[in-house]
Amino acid sequence: MPTMLTRKEFIKTMGLCASALLCAGPAYGFPGVEDQDNMGIKGHVFENDAPDEPWKWSIEGFHYQKAGDTVECQVCPNQCILEPGDRGVCRSKVNIKGRLFSLAYGNPCSVHVDPIEKKPLNHFYPRSLIFSIAAAGCNLRCLNCQNWEISQKRPEEVQHDELFPWDVVKAAKDKSIQSIAYTYSEPISFYEYMYDTARLAKEAGIKNVLVSNGYINPGPFLKLCKYLDGANVNLKSFDDGIYRRLNGGTLGPVLETFKNMHGEGVWFEITTLVVPTYVDNPEMIKRMCGWVLKELGPDYPLHFLRFFPLYKLSRLPATPVETLENLRDLAMKEGIRYVYLGNVPANPGTHTYCHQCRKILIERKGYIIAQYNIEKGLCRFCGTTIPGRWG
Amino acid sequence: MNQRRLIIFSIISTGVTSVATQLVTIREFLTQFHGNEITISLALFCWLLLTGIGSLAARWSKDPSPWIYSLLILVIAVLPLVQLIAIRGFKEAFFTHGISPGFYQIFFYILFTIAPYCLLTGFILPYAQKVMVSQGHAFGSGDLYLTDTIGDILSGALFSFVLVYLIKPFATIALTSAPLILAAIALIFRSRKYLLFPVAFLLVLLFYFYSTNSRFEINTLAGQYGKIEQYMESPFGRIVVTKEGAQHTLWESGTPLYSGSNIIKSEEKIHYALCQLDMVEDVLLVSGCLGDTMTEVGKYSPRHVDYVELDPRLTKVAGDIGIIKEAPGLCVINSDGRSYLKETKRRYDAIILDLPEPDTFQTNRFFTAEFFLLAKNVLKKGGIVLFSIGYDPDYLSNIWRKKFSTIYSTVSLHFENILVLPGEEAYFLCSDRELEADIPSKLAKKSIRTSYVEGYFYGNVTEERIKMIRDCQDVRVPVNTDFDPKLIGIVLRHWFMEYGTSPNYFFLAVLGLTLTYLMFIRKEEYVLFSTGLAIMGIEMLVIFAFQVVYGYIYLKIGAIVTAFLLGLLPGAMIGNLATHNNKTRLMVSEISVLLLLIMFYLWAVFFRTGLHPVYYLMYSFFFSLVCGFQFPVVAGMIGEAKSPAAGCLAADLVGAAVGTLATGTIIIPLFGIKAAVIFLIAIKISSTIMAFFSGKNRC
Repeated sequence: MPTMLTRKEFIKTMGLCASALLCAGPAYGFPGVEDQDNMGIKGHVFENDAPDEPWKWSIEGFHYQKAGDTVECQVCPNQCILEPGDRGVCRSKVNIKGRLFSLAYGNPCSVHVDPIEKKPLNHFYPRSLIFSIAAAGCNLRCLNCQNWEISQKRPEEVQHDELFPWDVVKAAKDKSIQSIAYTYSEPISFYEYMYDTARLAKEAGIKNVLVSNGYINPGPFLKLCKYLDGANVNLKSFDDGIYRRLNGGTLGPVLETFKNMHGEGVWFEITTLVVPTYVDNPEMIKRMCGWVLKELGPDYPLHFLRFFPLYKLSRLPATPVETLENLRDLAMKEGIRYVYLGNVPANPGTHTYCHQCRKILIERKGYIIAQYNIEKGLCRFCGTTIPGRWG
Repeated sequence: MNQRRLIIFSIISTGVTSVATQLVTIREFLTQFHGNEITISLALFCWLLLTGIGSLAARWSKDPSPWIYSLLILVIAVLPLVQLIAIRGFKEAFFTHGISPGFYQIFFYILFTIAPYCLLTGFILPYAQKVMVSQGHAFGSGDLYLTDTIGDILSGALFSFVLVYLIKPFATIALTSAPLILAAIALIFRSRKYLLFPVAFLLVLLFYFYSTNSRFEINTLAGQYGKIEQYMESPFGRIVVTKEGAQHTLWESGTPLYSGSNIIKSEEKIHYALCQLDMVEDVLLVSGCLGDTMTEVGKYSPRHVDYVELDPRLTKVAGDIGIIKEAPGLCVINSDGRSYLKETKRRYDAIILDLPEPDTFQTNRFFTAEFFLLAKNVLKKGGIVLFSIGYDPDYLSNIWRKKFSTIYSTVSLHFENILVLPGEEAYFLCSDRELEADIPSKLAKKSIRTSYVEGYFYGNVTEERIKMIRDCQDVRVPVNTDFDPKLIGIVLRHWFMEYGTSPNYFFLAVLGLTLTYLMFIRKEEYVLFSTGLAIMGIEMLVIFAFQVVYGYIYLKIGAIVTAFLLGLLPGAMIGNLATHNNKTRLMVSEISVLLLLIMFYLWAVFFRTGLHPVYYLMYSFFFSLVCGFQFPVVAGMIGEAKSPAAGCLAADLVGAAVGTLATGTIIIPLFGIKAAVIFLIAIKISSTIMAFFSGKNRC
């Protein structure tokens, strides 16, 4: 005789069927990637991680507020609130006994001499060399960071030299190098060191170049701008959600930085790493170009870089060269006058063309300049003024 | 078929489906995450641990019922498909697209996604025995172990020798679950729960609809890969071709192996090496002949280029989509690179290795002192070897310095000159000839034009950066050898640093939980725990040693794994034969295991090579035979009245889990193969002492 199912038995079997039906979900788009916009990777404050005392390479922070023993760093939009003993998101700012200290002052972990084109800066004294320094730390958490071994480390964790601001200026002068770059990691995390060095360098007639993510508050940045001559700032995407997911930051403050550089007359170039499936959407790039044209004008060069799998973002393909070329065409069609391609050797998109007569102004073979057709900032062929800083 | 036979058939079928699912699942994790020893060990650890917990839970199950059993095995039969889809689908939901997650993320993800299936399969075996007993059928714990082992062996052999070559994961699951589905339906029928039939029928229908639908299977991969043009499985991993605009990307086990032209890498690896030579006649490329590589090699007009790549399906697909460019003199050889070096009679002017970081036992074999000696032996006089490792061009961390120093010391045992060029990667050039760092001027002398090197070299590979690398060498570091793979440990530590995590908390937690578990188990169960630990440990060591000596030969490694499974069956049968003198028999088996471990130690220390592969098979078979023998003996010592199956199975599985983790991720990478065997010997000595002081000859 057949046995009836009890209610409990029925629920069990139905649960089983539901599981089987769920099989179909992931294959047809459940759960969607687009739902991940709020999965931010913003860094966090490191509680009780500060040293007891400042070390030799410390300086009291230039921009912070106090509330009792608690301090709030004002340099970048993270605005870390640190209790005594805490360390900020960037890993280089600490609260020691109620005072904010930077632990990255005079202790660069990277010191190199690079061609200026490596930053990349194509309209800033081409063919010159630049003395480049970095100290540990970064206020973002980019998943594709190529310098994570210094940007995602505490200053105490890395091997470093000792070069205080005056030593940096002297080293550059000794090598007869006319500019200093604050680069590799994130200079905003060693703001005080950069600021003092830039000030002394300016006094000594040496130019200062910032290579940065641009994630900085307007107050400190405007003060720094007084000493800056050039900059290459990343515009990592034009979407706040992508900024949160890939970089642990937000778009707004970066756009503000561009506007401030433009307002202060700092020459800058914009770099966008075209990460497949994130930063390769033509519509987004179109919006980005629209904003650039409206707020900054058509003259600042825009660099589209080819992405290669790196660090934690190692399971994406490299950017197709065709995508980069299409984005370059799009940006130029929108009205940006100088659009370059990076990480694509021998591509025509690495050369500089006059925006008026379209002739080659600077033909580049890597860092070697094969042709140079700019004289006193003017196109040799049609006399048009070429935006930039030319020697 | 009567009920007893049906249940026995279902136990065998459970073994069939569970082993196939385990193999498919581990391969899936290797394509979802970074395919290193950590991922393999974590997947095995979680699998064995959860199954052990499931078995333990069966101890407390009351009122075993045949119809609940039939329903549970039906769930076990269809769950692998759900599990596989969940692993693929949830990965995109839980992690940022394109990311390679870190240790703890991998661990918790594995634990979460396989928990339902593992807990259930662990639970079902002792529960099956309880059902048998409750229905009045005599079925001891030894019988249970033996029966399950038959299924394991069938499935292991079927998967390793047949399925992995022929069909994809979904079809594998569809096929290996079929016997269990039949058993479940027959048992439902016998238990007369006719109203369950429509439900079971619907479930089975859905299962086969999805598991045999290849379009659906590809769709489950689309989240990870994008627009898939080709998808196939090979014994060595998953091969996928996607298309992004005009660009093809060739993926191997979840990693983009080739993604459009990368002229930077092609030029650096070829010209840094070949421009050093006066004449280039014979070139050997170990992996990496994709894209522009042959175009660059062709600039030297070599007479002959051999390209060695392990996976024939990979080279076939790469050829089909045009990313292995046909060139005069190019010969594609599908073989293990190291085995090829051992066997070839040809002598080369240059050997160019394009391999991933040495974070697995397999790739470490290309960075050892023994390998560089092999390479030197097939080089012509003044020939050159080139390989590269990743680095940060702007900063050399302490761990990188250690990695660099280890490689440098290892290479310098066999080559007089080593030049490290800091390009996009750190390129090691090794030769007995003088090496020059000014590559563009060497290329200019040969009238060879390049797109990248001649324009970027002087800006990137500066004298100051070359010096920075040269100066970071530490001569005190030990060299990397086959049996003492120091480099794996360093690379794995570097991997942990990327994520800012340390595995120490995890290992401490495992140690704590293991010690707690050991406090509550019987002494006899400890013997099985140690045996489970030893068999997984020795299995890893035998496979590792075999790879070192003979290369990565999939079929033979599959044979070793099967030999390990195969030995359990006669072992369990012999153990089941007699029911007296259990303690004496256990002591004999303990001493046998110890002797076998000592034998391995002596071989690893004094001989290492020269054994025919059949000895590896025999050793694996006998080792597992002795281990298989112990289960019924221990169950007999505890006495069937105490229902020992759940506790014994749990001890065996938990031991295996700990053995996998301890041997594979800690001891071999950090302390080498000898230390790993000593560890296993120490564990077995402790269990021998335990066996000596405990238990009775109860049956």
